[in-house]
Amino acid sequence: MWQRETFKKIKQIPREEHVLPGTALCAGCGGLEALRLAAKVLGDHVVYVNAAGCFTMLAAYPYSSFKGSWLYTTMGSAPAGAQGIRDALDVLIAKGRVPKDEDVKVIVLGGDGSTYDMALSSTSGAMNRKLDFYYICYDNEAYGNTGMQLSPATPFAARTATSPCSLQHPGATQEKKDIFEIWRAHRPPYIATVAPRYPLDLAEKFARAAAYTGPKMFLALSACPTGWGYDPGATPEVAKLAVETGLWPLKEAVNGVVTHTYIPKRKPVEAYLQLQGRFRHLFEPTVHTEAIRHIQGQVDAYWRQAIQEQA
Amino acid sequence: MVAVRFHGRGGQGAKTASRILGTAAFVSGYVAQDSPIYGAERRGAPVAAFTRFGRDPIRERGAIAHPDVLVVADASLLDDAAAHVLDGVTGQTVLFVNSSLSADRLRTHLTLPEHVTTRDVTGVALQQLGAREAISALLGAVAARVVGLEWEPVRSAIDRELRDLGLAEPVLERNLTAARLCYDSVEPARLPQGAVQAVGAASLHHPAYEPPTKGTARIAAAGNSVLRETGGWRTFRPVLVADRCNGCWLCFAYCPDGVISMNREDRPVVDYAHCKGCQICVHECPTHALIAEREQEGGVAWTAK
Repeated sequence: MWQRETFKKIKQIPREEHVLPGTALCAGCGGLEALRLAAKVLGDHVVYVNAAGCFTMLAAYPYSSFKGSWLYTTMGSAPAGAQGIRDALDVLIAKGRVPKDEDVKVIVLGGDGSTYDMALSSTSGAMNRKLDFYYICYDNEAYGNTGMQLSPATPFAARTATSPCSLQHPGATQEKKDIFEIWRAHRPPYIATVAPRYPLDLAEKFARAAAYTGPKMFLALSACPTGWGYDPGATPEVAKLAVETGLWPLKEAVNGVVTHTYIPKRKPVEAYLQLQGRFRHLFEPTVHTEAIRHIQGQVDAYWRQAIQEQA
Repeated sequence: MVAVRFHGRGGQGAKTASRILGTAAFVSGYVAQDSPIYGAERRGAPVAAFTRFGRDPIRERGAIAHPDVLVVADASLLDDAAAHVLDGVTGQTVLFVNSSLSADRLRTHLTLPEHVTTRDVTGVALQQLGAREAISALLGAVAARVVGLEWEPVRSAIDRELRDLGLAEPVLERNLTAARLCYDSVEPARLPQGAVQAVGAASLHHPAYEPPTKGTARIAAAGNSVLRETGGWRTFRPVLVADRCNGCWLCFAYCPDGVISMNREDRPVVDYAHCKGCQICVHECPTHALIAEREQEGGVAWTAK
């Protein structure tokens, strides 16, 4: 049974803020929720390497919301940027040109468009070279910054700007790519999925990851009021239902061994889908029973196997 | 030609309102164009949109520097110098502001043109739609009435534009009802005759080459985003009812922007200069100790730096 060791109570969440307000990110951004909590564990001795995406807005010239450093890269090359910084630090520290106590953690920030799609080869290379870095993917299941176009992280049946819906065509026809398993195939020391509605689970995983040298990979559910079509105040509710329906499993993989850190009772998927504009066409004007049953079937199959493996 | 400029906050519907006006003018037999402008900003940040229509072909393109009609979707924008809402406004400009305050009340701290109409469109939306930010149809209807378009083309424009956005039938119907109320609540304005502005060719600026070390944007400061206040994004503010609070920290834990801190008595303190008004804290508070109050308007509660 997985148990939290560092973060047992909500009042253990550090008070200090490391991602400061005044950013142009949307009100109610689930990705920012996740990053803010993660940064409370990671601290200020960090350099963020940011692939182009919504998080670009965190340091839009001439303002930065980080107390530490930030480097901007193209969508496809953030892990390569991280490699460059890590190597430079290692070389300069070895030569004595940078004091050892000025070493920093290198953290990639990438959206799902970057992570699942454009930067996949760059990430694969970095993991293969056992680069000592953190990778945080804020997954809002579409290319959000450019107006919610379909990405490989978009779930089946979701409406996006490029997967429109009609009576005949219920949104995205593809399935969400399983990036967790793609990462796991590289056997990095630590991988975890997190959801900011579960702040202690999230903080605990970042605290645990610190013990490992090498790639530490995080996949953060980033509920998106703008793109998913719900009131910004409902961001935690949407994230909660994603986890409670079983659609977003909270888990970690230590050296490839998977543990589910929370076993939901699994509400019907409708509870989650019905809250969001991107799935409204599944319920109005007629109910797409087949599509909903398909989504439920995928979740059920996932958990049947997960519970079997864990037992 | 009539040139109408819309100012709003991302997500409020200024862009769609300008489309509705353009479509309504087109359906009425005019030539029309509409286009929005926004930076790398999003929900809550200032945006603008432009609609031109007339009897003759329109050669002008792009931003409207000197609007005949200015529609302001959020009164707090008038106080935000960075939003440039009143740029290019002359004494003849017809101004509409979504506000529950009277024009005279707004004039106490702003210099405004002679023709100013205010209506509480957000109030109508809250009452009729129950949503706090979707006022595109209502603003489009107001603008169309101000420029003298008939209701029928406005109705069909709203229907067409909102249907394109994938709105469900009952929501569409509620929007049409609310839009009609707003349409009827204002009068057609007497627009300045011959309002066409002679537009001279702008001189082009050719940037010089700079090496990347110089030509790349660098921010030599840490955490200076706090200088940029986002408090004006709110339509509602979270307010603490202290005796209901049990000091659980959940509002602090879930706030995406980190604008809630816990004081020594474990009570939340909201940084209103930066709170964007997402209402996550209000939704998540287990004892309902945080409530949403509609923002006081007119720059009294908040002004941009």
